[in-house]
Amino acid sequence: MAPPLGAAELPSTATPGALVTCPMCGYEFDRDDTLCGHGCPLGSLCNLVRCSNCGYEFPDAPRRRSWLRKLLSRSKRPERLPPDVRAVSELAPGEAARVVCLGERNSSRSGTLSVFGLVAGAEVTLIQRRPACVVRIGETELALDPEIAEDLLVRPTD
Amino acid sequence: MTHCTVRDTTLESPTEGRVDERQILLVGNPNVGKSVLFRNLTQRYVTVSNYPGTTVEVVRARASFDGHTTSVIDTPGLNDLVPRSEDARVTIDILQENPDATVVQVADAKNLQRALLLTLQLVELRRPMLLVLNMLDELDERGGRIDSTRLAEILGIPVVETVAPQDRGTAELISALAEARPSTLNEGPHRTARTNGSGRARARPVRPLPVVPPEAHLDLYEANRLRLERAKEILVETYSISPPARPSFKVRLGFWAMHPVKGLFFLAAVLLAVFWFVGLFGAGSLVDVLEVGGFSQRLNPLAIQATDKVLPFPHEHARELIVQPIALPLSPAHEVRIGILEKTAITPDYTMPPDAALSPTQGVLRFLHDFLVGKYGAITMALSYAFAIVLPIVTTFFLVFSMLEDSGYFPRLAIMLNRSFRRIGLNGKAVLPMILGLGCATMATMTTRILETRKERLVTTMLLALAVPCSAQLGVLLAMMATLSPVGAVAWLGLVAGILLAVGWLSARVFGGETSEFILEIPPIRRPQLSNVFVKTLSRLEWYLKEVIPIFVVGTAVLFLLDKLRLLDWISRAGEPLIAGWLGLPAEMSNAFLVGFMRRDFGAVYVLDAVQASQPLLTPLQIFVAMVTITLFMPCVATFLMIAREHSTKAALRMSAFIFPFAFLVGGLVYRLGRWLPL
Repeated sequence: MAPPLGAAELPSTATPGALVTCPMCGYEFDRDDTLCGHGCPLGSLCNLVRCSNCGYEFPDAPRRRSWLRKLLSRSKRPERLPPDVRAVSELAPGEAARVVCLGERNSSRSGTLSVFGLVAGAEVTLIQRRPACVVRIGETELALDPEIAEDLLVRPTD
Repeated sequence: MTHCTVRDTTLESPTEGRVDERQILLVGNPNVGKSVLFRNLTQRYVTVSNYPGTTVEVVRARASFDGHTTSVIDTPGLNDLVPRSEDARVTIDILQENPDATVVQVADAKNLQRALLLTLQLVELRRPMLLVLNMLDELDERGGRIDSTRLAEILGIPVVETVAPQDRGTAELISALAEARPSTLNEGPHRTARTNGSGRARARPVRPLPVVPPEAHLDLYEANRLRLERAKEILVETYSISPPARPSFKVRLGFWAMHPVKGLFFLAAVLLAVFWFVGLFGAGSLVDVLEVGGFSQRLNPLAIQATDKVLPFPHEHARELIVQPIALPLSPAHEVRIGILEKTAITPDYTMPPDAALSPTQGVLRFLHDFLVGKYGAITMALSYAFAIVLPIVTTFFLVFSMLEDSGYFPRLAIMLNRSFRRIGLNGKAVLPMILGLGCATMATMTTRILETRKERLVTTMLLALAVPCSAQLGVLLAMMATLSPVGAVAWLGLVAGILLAVGWLSARVFGGETSEFILEIPPIRRPQLSNVFVKTLSRLEWYLKEVIPIFVVGTAVLFLLDKLRLLDWISRAGEPLIAGWLGLPAEMSNAFLVGFMRRDFGAVYVLDAVQASQPLLTPLQIFVAMVTITLFMPCVATFLMIAREHSTKAALRMSAFIFPFAFLVGGLVYRLGRWLPL
């Protein structure tokens, strides 16, 4: 059975090497083969793809989620985590938790965090989430980028 | 930032100490009070504040303890022995260069775990050391206790308790210096877990500093984790804390200051307070009193009379009734009249008898007379600008700035602004040097050392040189702003902020490189100590007087000479297409831009003088254009030299090659587009 029509026609899939389908003529081509891609002065700033068959220009899939979408949709966490483990930024202000891990193996970051006492097993309390996440470890109050806070996994304590 | 720091280091170079002289190195986490302790030990003033990274250079001073001459070295704070930023590197270098120095580790007693993390690393160096538990008063406030006898037993080094701002414990520290010894807590994190520190100090070779490549982060993490575990074991035996159930007012104030909504109100209140105190009270009332009451009505006439006596030639000075109401401002439009200054006084303008023919000697006398008290006189212009206009402004600014600095508000502001700064390739940490730039751009350029990557340092330096007005200039700008409508003030603020973001965004792309992640320690909110605020303000004013007055005098002398050589008119005419044609300002304003090249605040004062004249020379739009253009100038020659020192001469030249044309470009655009603004 043929796939549902709408899904096949979406000019999406910006992942490198993936095929792009022209919404005008239906031609499928590689993102790298786009007609305007080579030597264009706009380079990486341009978000348009030109069909190598009919020449129609259309926007590639948005590379970034717009701020509106970010605001409306809750961040998804694809990893399978134990039910009681969550990001420190998901704690309620004032809630205490024990650090499970510092997130990805970003070694430079974990080295820096460790000097503030932020290591696996440390007890942290969330003070605020925005505009930057602030946590308290012992007598240290530490402000963190929201991205770091999203990676910092904790298990709430009673 | 640390003005005194710069001068102190030049007093004694690192190699100057005698061989037999004892050296002590004050080392510790950031913001634990090393500099206050340094001050107590050496009686020498260094800038101290309530945020991490106040000291970015090594400061040395000699002191005599029990008849021994000792060289005391204050160092930038660091959290472990890894050079994560330039200021931490400075400390690590000084540790490396002085293998025989006694290490005095200063610790925040509240935060013993963090201190022990560093202690355990310093211990591994096997150097004579002692531990100072500072801020014991704050520990008491939080309901904490430390068993320092037991701690000394475990670590095998003397432990001294101090409250540095109150000079408590300094004598004990001095007498404990003789007992400093290598710790008996042997070895690194891997073996410490099972030792208790009861062993005696044995003569062991001093270990060189382990050279840790910054890439070996994962091992560093693991090592720190083990050290923290060991520290926790020590804490169990020595430290207890029971924080009060309800956070104190200061703690809650600290939360509000960085809250996404309350923080904005907080910021608005702070800005309004600064505007009132500096822009209205300092640049308004105080300047009126000093400029009119001090200089125009009294000092200038006295100086003119004295000069006329010493340097006589036939001439008659004009007399004028000078009236100046003195008021306490409530808002830009409302004020409470306090009194009125009214006096008839002689002015620098003079007329000569029409038939007077000056002999060569009289010609020289007239030249000297004009140099001192003429239109571009050293006294009537340079000193009256420096003391009557800029001094009250920088005094009020530094007072309120020092208070904010010591309160611990600035790191909270960094949190509020982190997101915006991320857009320009920086992070909230860069807010600190930028705010310090409101004090002095030159010193702030040095503070960029606290930033981690080269790109961050370059972009911040660029923005400091372009769009962050320094104290003197800011005060003058605030005074000019008071003559415009609120729309003008908001437009100026929006424009400068917009340029800051746009140029920051662009230069982040031009300079390329990485942005570090935002991880910033927040100091507790503290009540500013008035004594420290005053001492700090005085030391900054001393710096101001020494640095600024010579430049003002030289700048005025240049104007004077150009005027005498009839070149000033020529420059005005030559600059006319730019100043009058492009910027739409009166051609006389060329002078302001001419001196603005030396110090932009000098140029700004010149404009302000024209704005505040009895017959205003400028329309609101012209004031606005001049404000914007002068704001964007390179701050001063000293800043240029500092950029050359911290980066390279090439970088400094490139920045100026961008900044000056850009300032004029924006000024001209503002003149053309600003007509529609209700200024």
